[in-house]
Amino acid sequence: MDESALILDAQHGDLQAFNTLVLTYQDRLYNTALRILNDEEQAADAVQEAFLSAFRALNSYRGGSFRAWLLRTVTNACYDELRRKKRRPTTPLEPETTDGDEVESPRWLADPHASPEESLDQAELEHAIQHCLENLPADFRAVVVLADIQGLDYSEVAIAVHKPLGTIKSRLARARLRLRDCLQAFRELLPAAFRLEEQSSL
Amino acid sequence: MTTPSSCDLELLSAYLDEQLSQSDRARLEIRIHADPAFANALEELRQTRTLLRHTPQRRAPRNFILTPWMAGIRPPVPRLVPVFSWASAVAMLFFIFTLGAGLVGQLSFGLAARSAVAPMASGAGPLVAATMAPVVAAPAPMAPAATAAPATMASVLAAPATVAPVPTVSVANSSNLAPADQTVLPTPTEEPSIMAVEQSTPPAVARVAQPPSAPKALHRPVNLWLFIWPGLAVILGALAGLVFWFNKRTFQRKNPRG
Repeated sequence: MDESALILDAQHGDLQAFNTLVLTYQDRLYNTALRILNDEEQAADAVQEAFLSAFRALNSYRGGSFRAWLLRTVTNACYDELRRKKRRPTTPLEPETTDGDEVESPRWLADPHASPEESLDQAELEHAIQHCLENLPADFRAVVVLADIQGLDYSEVAIAVHKPLGTIKSRLARARLRLRDCLQAFRELLPAAFRLEEQSSL
Repeated sequence: MTTPSSCDLELLSAYLDEQLSQSDRARLEIRIHADPAFANALEELRQTRTLLRHTPQRRAPRNFILTPWMAGIRPPVPRLVPVFSWASAVAMLFFIFTLGAGLVGQLSFGLAARSAVAPMASGAGPLVAATMAPVVAAPAPMAPAATAAPATMASVLAAPATVAPVPTVSVANSSNLAPADQTVLPTPTEEPSIMAVEQSTPPAVARVAQPPSAPKALHRPVNLWLFIWPGLAVILGALAGLVFWFNKRTFQRKNPRG
């Protein structure tokens, strides 16, 4: 069914139509929240909260990119979660080995369809990117996640984070530079296809 | 070979995403071709972007669809619900009104009864006083009759056929001795004697023997509304409770939580 028709039906209170949109966008929203929050449970909570907010505020949607509008709700939910986390810092319950060392790649994160080597590569890449994203300020992180990981264009990112286009350009450039520097430190751990070659010292 | 400034890097980043105007784009391309530092910086940004675009995508751990309960959507209510939605409030109003009306009724009735009794008591003062005094002093006049009893009892034993007239004779005798004492004996067994007194005594005294009319006013007919209003209130309250329970049950069945 056409997305515009589903949105229109949902605006008239059709929950079934809205749930069809939820199923279409839930993976995208979850990945965005996961990259910004770096916590699966909190990301799931943020996505649920975002969809609920979106349904309640659906009449405020006036056309344009529905994807960007939805990502804006989840970005706001993530910011709320980050502020909450800052007020009440918690220790994540990561699995530990018998020696007390943290298991960074638990077995339940593994993709059952990938080979062990591919799974390891994917896990290393994800870990490196997530580590570098974690070191970015929240505003920069949201912009780079939306633009480079979710593939939104600048205008959509501007809608999603509610900032002018110039701010998006500036934040994205600086975020990329910081990520470049950070990811080069992981160069040896990354899969060969994604290994960043140091071209020059900028 | 010059190191690109932060402003140049912003331009390179925007160039990478094709977000530059035609003129800015042409100007930057000249510098990229002329300066290897610009070309290297552009390549590093491109690699970083490529790497980020290959970030593994996870599947959502569950479906985030909304239930009607989560969305705050209530099921259509039965037709009678609008009628009964205010039933509990109406029932409470009826109840308060009934209590108030009953209280006011009782108060006004009490005042009316008191005001009705007062004039009668004042108007018949001497009579009441005359009747009440012997009541208090009742045992005393009885004594002569009691003392006279053995004599009459002897005659009763001697002639059983004349038992009935005996009390009237004795009381009549005693009434002759003390006329005021006739009102002292309002017991049912003494009714014949009172009748005798009425026949033998003046009308004024007979009127004294009759009970006052004021107590009759105290037995006013029961106000049925005092029972109807609370009954209606209870019935309405019960109906409202039933409708509420039925509605809640239906909603819970249609929208199981979680």
